[in-house]
This record gives sequence, C-alpha cells and structure tokens, in this order.
Amino acid sequence: MPMKGRFPVRRTLQYLSQGDVVFKSSVKVMTVNYNTAGELSEGARKFVFFNIPQIQYRNPWVQIMLFRNMTPSPFLRFYLDSGEQVLVDVEDKTNKEITEHIKKILGKSKEMLEKEERERKKLSHPATFGPKKYHLRECMCEIEGQVPCPAFVPLPKEMRGKYKAAMKNEA
Amino acid sequence: MLPALRRCRPGPVPLPALAAALGPGAFPGLGPGPFPGLCPAWSPRAVPARGRKTRHDPPAKSKAGRVKLPPPVDPEELLVVLERYRQHRLVLSALRAEFRAEVLQRKREERLAAEGSVEELEEHRRLMAWNEEENARQRARREERLRKEEEEQKRRKLEIAEKQARKMEAFLEEKEKEVLQLQEEAKNFITPENLEARIEECLDNPRNYNFAIDKDGRIVKRTVLS
Repeated sequence: MPMKGRFPVRRTLQYLSQGDVVFKSSVKVMTVNYNTAGELSEGARKFVFFNIPQIQYRNPWVQIMLFRNMTPSPFLRFYLDSGEQVLVDVEDKTNKEITEHIKKILGKSKEMLEKEERERKKLSHPATFGPKKYHLRECMCEIEGQVPCPAFVPLPKEMRGKYKAAMKNEA
Repeated sequence: MLPALRRCRPGPVPLPALAAALGPGAFPGLGPGPFPGLCPAWSPRAVPARGRKTRHDPPAKSKAGRVKLPPPVDPEELLVVLERYRQHRLVLSALRAEFRAEVLQRKREERLAAEGSVEELEEHRRLMAWNEEENARQRARREERLRKEEEEQKRRKLEIAEKQARKMEAFLEEKEKEVLQLQEEAKNFITPENLEARIEECLDNPRNYNFAIDKDGRIVKRTVLS
C-alpha cells in the first residue's frame, strides 16, 4: 500500500536528496523535448524518469516542462533570467552523461555549495535553545551535561523549593 | 478628545489616606498629579479574575452596592506622558527602519557582487562555448550516423534489385527451356493426319508392360506376352 508506481524508490527522500545537480540562480526554466519511442531517445527517457525528480527536489523554484513526441530528436533547453537560451543535444546519450553535462555547464560547483552551507550555518548558533523552528533543542534539560528534566528524573531534594522552604521555616 | 481624559473626575482625592493604605511603593508616579475623584474600592492590585463562578452566575450580595470606576487620570500628566511616548516610539521605529534598510542594502550588494563579477561571466561564457562544442560534436556524430544509414539503405535496395533481376532471369530461362522441350515433344504428337499411321504402328509393335518382381526387389522385365 505505501509503494506507488513502477520504481517507488524515486519517491523516497533519501533518493531525492542524492541528486547533486543544483542550478545556478540564473536558471529559471528547464524544458525537455523527447520521444516516447526510439533507441536514440532512450537516454532522455531514463533521464526524465529517474533524474528529473531529483533535480526538481534540489531546485524547487526552477520550472521544468516536458514535451513528448514533438521533435524527431531529443534535446534540453534552459532559459536563463538574462533571456539567454542554452540548448543541449541529448540524442544518443545515457542519462548519466546528460546529468554530468548539465551539472558541468549550469550547476553550482561543489565549492560554491559548501560555501553556501557554511554561510547558512553561521546564521544559527547550535548552542542556543528555544522553539524547535529556530533551534536544535527546546529546553535546557535536553542538553548533555545539564540537569535532566524533572519530569523524567526527580530533582534531588536539596534543589526543590518545598525542601528549601521547609528548611528556612525550621531555621 | 482622548478617551483617557474621560476618566478625569471632579472631587477631592484622599491622597494621603490612599498612600498610607496601599503602602509607600504603590504610586511611584502618582505624586502630586492624581485628579480628584479616586474611588478607594478600585485598588491597582485587584485584577478581575473569574475564579469559581461562570459569567452567568449572579454576583454576590456583598457586591450589591459596588460601583466600579476606572483609574483616575491627570490630564496634564497624561498629555506629557503621551507626548513622550509618541516621541520615543517615533525614534525607535525610525531606527529600526534605518537598520532594516541597511541590512537589505548590504544583502543586495553582496548578491549583485557575487553574480555580476567578471570571473563568473567569463566562466559562464567558457561553459557555454564548451556546450556549443559538445553540440557540434553531437551534430557530427548524428550526421555520420545518418550518412551510414543512408548508405546502408542504398546498398540494401541495390541488393534487392539485383536479386529481383536474377530471379527474373532464372524464370525466363525456365520458361525458355519448357518451350523448347514442348517444341521437341511436338514432333512426336499424334495429329489427325498421322493418326492412322500411328495406330498401325502401335498394333504392329506390341509392347509388353508386364514385369515380375521377387522378394528381394529385383525386377524382371522380360516376360512372356500373351
């Protein structure tokens, strides 16, 4: 019941996050023209079936359009925000070759991705605690080495207010 | 004018009694200012809270003559305080807007610097050139393939034509042979003219079609005709 489609692994988060093509911010639209039959379009078909979900997952703001059986040979076309159009001929190429090709010409390089990652990390401090949306931990009791939550481990009686008050009353 | 000014009431204010009753720390800002008409029943410490009864339960008998009055307001002090707050908030919001604008500006500049730098454009152009080369190579490969396919097709067509021609030739030869053979046989045909002669001939030369065969398969054709 949870598995849908021919290759349900394509729907898993692990598979999707394994996609390594992250487009530069100038790429706005990606168009794929391919044919549903024919040996020469086989690579393009595999690319559409296996790699496009990964690309869309890593680039949620890029519009991807697929056109079937409109031209005799398959190709990819990228529309950049400067109005430039980049044509990539993919006839007779395997899907791996296609991904390598577009990663090379329009993908962010590994150093750039790492730099962006570091920048993002700088914004948040991992030692602070607060709402789950902004921090890793919600309460001081979750941090290693701190007093555990009294909901799970009762505090020693010297730290409890009622003991301290009782002591003060006695004295 | 200001809705708070409506709370200003005429009448003497038992200020020392109030101050004594509620303690010295209760009114830090309410020294000489409080307007006459304080109601002692409404102390700053008593905050309305629901407690045990719902809103539909009737109030207690002890509260029968209770008159609730809002806190008193001194108009001059009110105006002064409001004016001060207004200026404070104005300054604060202006500062915040200023900082916000500065941060946005810096972000925008950084983004532009990162995108529009010369090396990036160079890199982009280089990659596009490489893409063009790749496309050209692909074009060459495709043309090669198409050319080969065309040649292949031509060769196949030629072959078929040749085979067809050969078949035609063989057929014609066969037919020629048959015709010749028929011509040969036609010489021995029985026509109405030589019918009589042929009959005579047959009757004169009786042919013996009998033969004997033994269990070993040997055929003997020379038998006695009766």
